[in-house]
Amino acid sequence: MTPALVFEDVQGGYGEHKVLNGVNAQIKPGEFVGLIGSNGTGKSTLLKTVSGLVPLDGGKIYVNGADNSRLKPKERAQQIAVVPQSFSIDYDFTVRDIVMMGRNPYLKFNESESDKDREIVEEAMKMTKTDQFADRLFNTLSGGERQRVIIARAIAQDTGIILLDEPTSALDIHHQIEVMELIERLNEKGITVLAVLHDLNLAARFCDRLVTADGEPKEIMTQENLREIYDMKMMIRNNELFDKPEVIPIRVLESEPAKSPKAIHIVCGSDRAGRIIEDLDDRGYDLSVGVVNENSGDNEVCKNLGIKTVTQKPFMPVTIDLQRENLKLMKGADLVYIADVPFGEMNLLNLYDLENLDKPVYVHEHTLQSDFTGGKLKEALDKIPSVIVVKDDKDFLSRLEPEIEEAEIIEDE
Amino acid sequence: MTKTKAVLIVLGCLLLVYLCTIVGITSIPIDTANRILLSKLFFLPVSTEGITDGETAIIFNIRLPRVVLAFITGGSLAVCGASYQGIFKNPMADPFILGVSSGAALGAAIGIIINSSASFIGLSLTTILAFIGAFATIIMVYSISRVGRRVPVGNLLLSGVAFSQTITAFMSLIMIFNIESMTQIMFWTMGSLNGKGWPQVLTVIPYVLIGLAVLFTSMRELDLMLLGEDTAIQLGVDVERLKKKTLIASSLVTAAVVSVTGIIGFVGLVVPHVSRLLFGPKHKALMPASLFLGGTFLIICDTLARSFLAQEIPVGIITAAFGGPFFIYLLRKNRKGGGL
Repeated sequence: MTPALVFEDVQGGYGEHKVLNGVNAQIKPGEFVGLIGSNGTGKSTLLKTVSGLVPLDGGKIYVNGADNSRLKPKERAQQIAVVPQSFSIDYDFTVRDIVMMGRNPYLKFNESESDKDREIVEEAMKMTKTDQFADRLFNTLSGGERQRVIIARAIAQDTGIILLDEPTSALDIHHQIEVMELIERLNEKGITVLAVLHDLNLAARFCDRLVTADGEPKEIMTQENLREIYDMKMMIRNNELFDKPEVIPIRVLESEPAKSPKAIHIVCGSDRAGRIIEDLDDRGYDLSVGVVNENSGDNEVCKNLGIKTVTQKPFMPVTIDLQRENLKLMKGADLVYIADVPFGEMNLLNLYDLENLDKPVYVHEHTLQSDFTGGKLKEALDKIPSVIVVKDDKDFLSRLEPEIEEAEIIEDE
Repeated sequence: MTKTKAVLIVLGCLLLVYLCTIVGITSIPIDTANRILLSKLFFLPVSTEGITDGETAIIFNIRLPRVVLAFITGGSLAVCGASYQGIFKNPMADPFILGVSSGAALGAAIGIIINSSASFIGLSLTTILAFIGAFATIIMVYSISRVGRRVPVGNLLLSGVAFSQTITAFMSLIMIFNIESMTQIMFWTMGSLNGKGWPQVLTVIPYVLIGLAVLFTSMRELDLMLLGEDTAIQLGVDVERLKKKTLIASSLVTAAVVSVTGIIGFVGLVVPHVSRLLFGPKHKALMPASLFLGGTFLIICDTLARSFLAQEIPVGIITAAFGGPFFIYLLRKNRKGGGL
């Protein structure tokens, strides 16, 4: 089958400023492909080379097998429709007028619209539910309504390929999903979709495949790729509702690195310690974690950050054997932090034999209040001679750092 | 625009042509005027008893061609203005924006100074030189603005302004050295239909017919241009070709009209705006509306110009005097912010 779109070493840009440096990609008919990448990597420019707005400096684009540079604007517009990010006009055109403009590629320059054209336009408006305000002026519509009208215009254009340039970025969440669902429906009817998307979660949820515009395309939704593409720290987890990967952006600016990073063992296991684990990891502390439940949020963070852990299967209690393994990790650490985690019979053994560890043990104050063991938590903690209670994670952090600051001051003197 | 509306407008225009033909400083009885028109225009066997040759000449060779020329001039200037406003997406665009008028004025000024009685198929040397000046200007502005095969709209506007300023400077210089012709040149630049007859009408008609035919067949594509060049391209418009087509057609029409009548301002700017306010931005309605409103407007202005005072007033003064304030009124009434 002829691919819908082929990019062959595509180079182009605006005059001296070259944006595309050899893009290679193929899009099969009926695919829903997301084009992602950080700002300035040429996503929109790539779409513009397809729609004929930006000429190529090198390479080739094939549209359904035909050399794109040889297509006349009309021929191209019969095969490719474009939905921009947002669209406004200074003139009083009605919604129907705007949608009717999608029929232009099929009309000779001096020809008027036929009844068939009018039918197609009505159909397109019905599909996008824009028929209810067909006679209103385009300028009086809200952003979401406008975007639906533009999609209706693309439908009226009756093309096999639709290009979308950040179609949702000016919209609120309701209208974002609405627009994406509309596009999904078109895709289900066999239309090939290539969409520039900034929202990775929308992209992951709706697209069959993701590509970038800066070089070789790769199957993208992996943490390493995303970190490279966007140059930032992010986490990927599975969104169970849609069974699609979900991105959690974490940080761009790195935190102040610790002056003398210690090794810390963290006891946690629900989902309240992820933040401090990430923060400590980012500052360069050597971390180990355990015993955590495999399904807990805390473990997901550890997995993403590649932290050593001792884990237990879901709904299974912490055993002595696991705690022995855990104690080994603790022995390798400079100190232990019992983060914000509720204690019950299932995980009480996490505190077993800590009294003989001979390391400082910090405890999150909230943990003391999340005692579901009928007092056994307090007993266990009371046995440990070196317990220090901290107000919260921030307090814990500040106790790690000031020692260093003080040391510095002494050195200066 | 519905069909009945269109029919009413055409009938109204015909009535206006008739009324303005029988009105004038030399009073001719309506009955006489009617009989002259019926016999000369429709070749009907009406009695020409008691009609002097002078009266016939006034009605048929002076007033009627003048009214017809007024309609053609006003209508085509307005249509050209509408299409320029379309392709430039600029509400201030008018048919003279590329310097056609300045080029024509320079040609006319040279013609006036040479003061030759030479004429060619009933056209004075002034008219011929004005036409050459107008066309040379367009070719210059167009080639200055061209970048490869593209003609960016911004370049066109700027080089039009720059070039016409330069030409105006030359014209002023010529006037300084030929003070005796200054009044005549000034009058020419204010535009007038005085003394124009059938030869002038016949001269402009081929250009106007061809030019307007081209513009009237680009109406849907001009609509798309209003969405911006990028969108127009994505919807299948060959934008560069459309621009060339529109520029050449409008320039041709404007050059022909201006070289005959002098510079009649405001019609080409105001009438398209008024038409847009009345009939909306779609060129399918806008272009015919501009044609008829522009034609009508100039007929009325010209009739005032020749009947108001014993001395002819250049019609350009009347169009500006009425057009300007009316435009301001419309702007205030339709304050929507942004373009009209």
